Amino acid sequence: MSLLKAKSSLTREKRFDTLNALQGTLASFEREFSTKEPVKRTRTFSQSSHDDLLHALRLLAGIRESVIVIHGSRGCAAAGLFYHLTFAAGRWIVTSLDERDTIMGADLKLRKAVTEAHKRYKPELIFIVATPVVAINNDDIQSVVDELHEALDVDIIPLFVTGFASHHAVTGYDIALHALLKYLGGKRIEHPADNRINLLSVAGHNDDQREAERLLSVFGFELNTLPDGASAKTFRQAQRARLSISLDDDSSNYMGICLQDEYGVPYVEAPRPIGLGATGRWLAAAGGELGLEEAAQTFHVQECKKVKQSLGDFTLKGVRVYLGLSAATLFSARDLVEELGGEVIGITFRYIDHRYKHRLHELALMHPALPIHVADGQPFEEVNIIKRLSPDLYLGDAAHLSQIGRLGIPVVSLEESPILGYNGLICAARRFSAALRNRSFTSAIARSPSVYQDAWLRRSPNWHIKMEVK
Amino acid sequence: MAHHIEGSRNSCALHGALQVIGAIEGAVPVIHSTAGCGMQHHLGITRLNAGNDTFGGPSVSSSNISQKHIVFGGGSRLREQLKNTVKIIQGELYVIVTGCSTEMVGDDIPAMTKEGLEQDFPVIYANTPGFRGDVHQGYQLTIKALIEQLPKLGKVAEPVSQGIVNIWGIVPQQDPFWSGNLEEIGRLLESIGLKPNLLFGNGQGLAAWQQVPEAVLNLVVSVWGETPALLLEERYGTPALVLDALPVGRASGRMLQAVSERLHLDTRRTERVIQDEENRLTNHLAALADTYYRSGFQREFALVGESAQVVGLSEFLAGTLGMIPRLLIMTDNPPDHAKEALYSYLGSCVEGYGTELLFSEDHGEITDRLRFSSVELVLGSALEKRVALKMGVPFLELSFPLADRVVLNRCTVGYRGATTFLEDLGSALLAASGHRIQEAS
Repeated sequence: MSLLKAKSSLTREKRFDTLNALQGTLASFEREFSTKEPVKRTRTFSQSSHDDLLHALRLLAGIRESVIVIHGSRGCAAAGLFYHLTFAAGRWIVTSLDERDTIMGADLKLRKAVTEAHKRYKPELIFIVATPVVAINNDDIQSVVDELHEALDVDIIPLFVTGFASHHAVTGYDIALHALLKYLGGKRIEHPADNRINLLSVAGHNDDQREAERLLSVFGFELNTLPDGASAKTFRQAQRARLSISLDDDSSNYMGICLQDEYGVPYVEAPRPIGLGATGRWLAAAGGELGLEEAAQTFHVQECKKVKQSLGDFTLKGVRVYLGLSAATLFSARDLVEELGGEVIGITFRYIDHRYKHRLHELALMHPALPIHVADGQPFEEVNIIKRLSPDLYLGDAAHLSQIGRLGIPVVSLEESPILGYNGLICAARRFSAALRNRSFTSAIARSPSVYQDAWLRRSPNWHIKMEVK
Repeated sequence: MAHHIEGSRNSCALHGALQVIGAIEGAVPVIHSTAGCGMQHHLGITRLNAGNDTFGGPSVSSSNISQKHIVFGGGSRLREQLKNTVKIIQGELYVIVTGCSTEMVGDDIPAMTKEGLEQDFPVIYANTPGFRGDVHQGYQLTIKALIEQLPKLGKVAEPVSQGIVNIWGIVPQQDPFWSGNLEEIGRLLESIGLKPNLLFGNGQGLAAWQQVPEAVLNLVVSVWGETPALLLEERYGTPALVLDALPVGRASGRMLQAVSERLHLDTRRTERVIQDEENRLTNHLAALADTYYRSGFQREFALVGESAQVVGLSEFLAGTLGMIPRLLIMTDNPPDHAKEALYSYLGSCVEGYGTELLFSEDHGEITDRLRFSSVELVLGSALEKRVALKMGVPFLELSFPLADRVVLNRCTVGYRGATTFLEDLGSALLAASGHRIQEAS
């Protein structure tokens, strides 16, 4: 059945058996994924982390000419302040449900908010984002969408996030991408592909996007970048593109698959272009699909030369690195650390699923005893592990990196800094170099008292990970 | 019925609770809600308050309830979470705070807290779902919980100081300068021989909270401090002194006089302190005079922020600095009775300037009012920066949310706050005139 016929996307648990709680060695992971369906685990202690609502809001913050109506209580719009002051200039509105609304429902309030947003700003798109409150009291968002779409003659797109139906925040990206394509993709029209490549970028860094565009310009195609910075038109024209290639398969896989299955746009699966090797493979994958392998290869060779010149004698030789990243980023970053001569001594995946079993297998052959951990925003476990391993450098993209810094370990955050392609590598290497050359800030904050009890830090880090009781 | 809000800056009650608990040393929040509630707070408040990250990221203990807890209830999950939080996170006091989902499901939080107490966990609770209100209600609900439930945990044996004054009404993080502001008010009270009980910030732990009932006075510096003061008056008979606003510059002298009078302190000592502080401020003002005249500091201004801050700063700007108040917007939704009082007090401070007053937290409405105001200077939050830039007027970021500045220990109240405020404002005006020179060349 067509994916887009459904009201919303499936959760990552249902799509890929995605896990967010596991700890062991690479060999034990590989066994888990290769011989049987992975067993879901849960935690008996947890710390707050991203949810599907937050990821959906982050993605929507990048859509132009839109207004986001968050249908929920006021705190569900808090992150909107950060996303909009930091990444985008769009507008967001919260219906600000009170106690009475949670009992009686608040469809009227939603109607009013959407109607006034339309009247005031005449946006191209209006998003209605559900929240835990309306997911529990079952406000009928769909009928508001249907009625007001007719009455106001504007595209109104509902996102059925819940905050609790999935353990994986990344489900929020899928839900947002599903909604965007379902409402804007249009019917499939048979026609020859035009001169465009869909560049799939979700919540990416501006410099990374520019670098990817520079890389793809070598093929002479026009780029249709989405969903970051996209408008309704970008989604409508996506179905006529020659191919889609992603900057991060973890976050935009759903869109690539939908465009391929629904509209026949080939989805080129390639590693995240981090480091020379992965960037070369990413470029080659696009070139291969377009029949332009040679152009890709020539460009890669030229750029490698420039990068090597720029890196000079910088090396991570003798540096023991810990990685705490989402899977697609992590596999490429691991390659990058090795390219630079460093050694990865431990890994925290934000989540992992069977799509990565081949990569796990390859790695397990080389490093069967490598400590592996899966956790989204559970620094109590990461701190416990890292304190034991005592790496020389930590690369991560989570919001809790200051806790790692407080252990006295130099940290480089990849959350808001460019890392993709050749220019990204140069930028990242400078940051690695600075972090290793001057550790004074980290040493200074290492004096602050620990958040955690000593008894916990002496315990096995997987103490609170248990098999789920159904 | 609450109205929808564009670009809300007042977040929710749960987040207000997290701000209160995060500002008390040794207090540990335990969120009973969905996973994202704590992260919303980290992104939407802590990150827009650079320098306020107590826990090292969003690593707050949280039950992260899932679908099955929505269907079958999340009480057992909370029991497990609380038991393990006490074992994992360092703390002297654990505070269960609830989000919308667990309140809708109807989990029995008092029962879970009682179970914890029976196991000798130092635990209290506050029901703080987002649908019960904004960050200010969260502040009040959590303080109420602390005042009512802390005595049940027993008392730490510590000698009681004389002349304790509790300070209420500064909401941590919602006032980006909360820590410095509390310290400055404390410094001034100390200078007239009192023992300020700041309750939040450096060195403010459980012991400070256990001294709350021993105070001789509750000093209320914003409308949000009235509820705790009333509660304490009912429970312990402690009198309250309610200020009209956060005192900035000379208003601080009036605060000291009022406190002295209420507590029958040595007025000569108080007057000496005030005189010293006034002299210092006068010297700073005089030192600025050349720049003030040369660069044309006198402007028609708009100010957007929390009511106590808007009133306090406007009074200083209009009453000492010669600025013309044109548009004053208060974003913290004070209750109706307080709005009337604010109107009347603020009206008297800015009389004769044709000043427009507005209560609104709607970003769209605030932006429109600024755009059509023809002011020459905008003071507000990061949300107002864009419109100020479009208007081509100088802008100073001083209310929540902040996006372009770090505040660690700066203050904007008292005498020292008046001086640092002058520094910030003067720098913003000079930087803006610098741009004009660059553009012209």
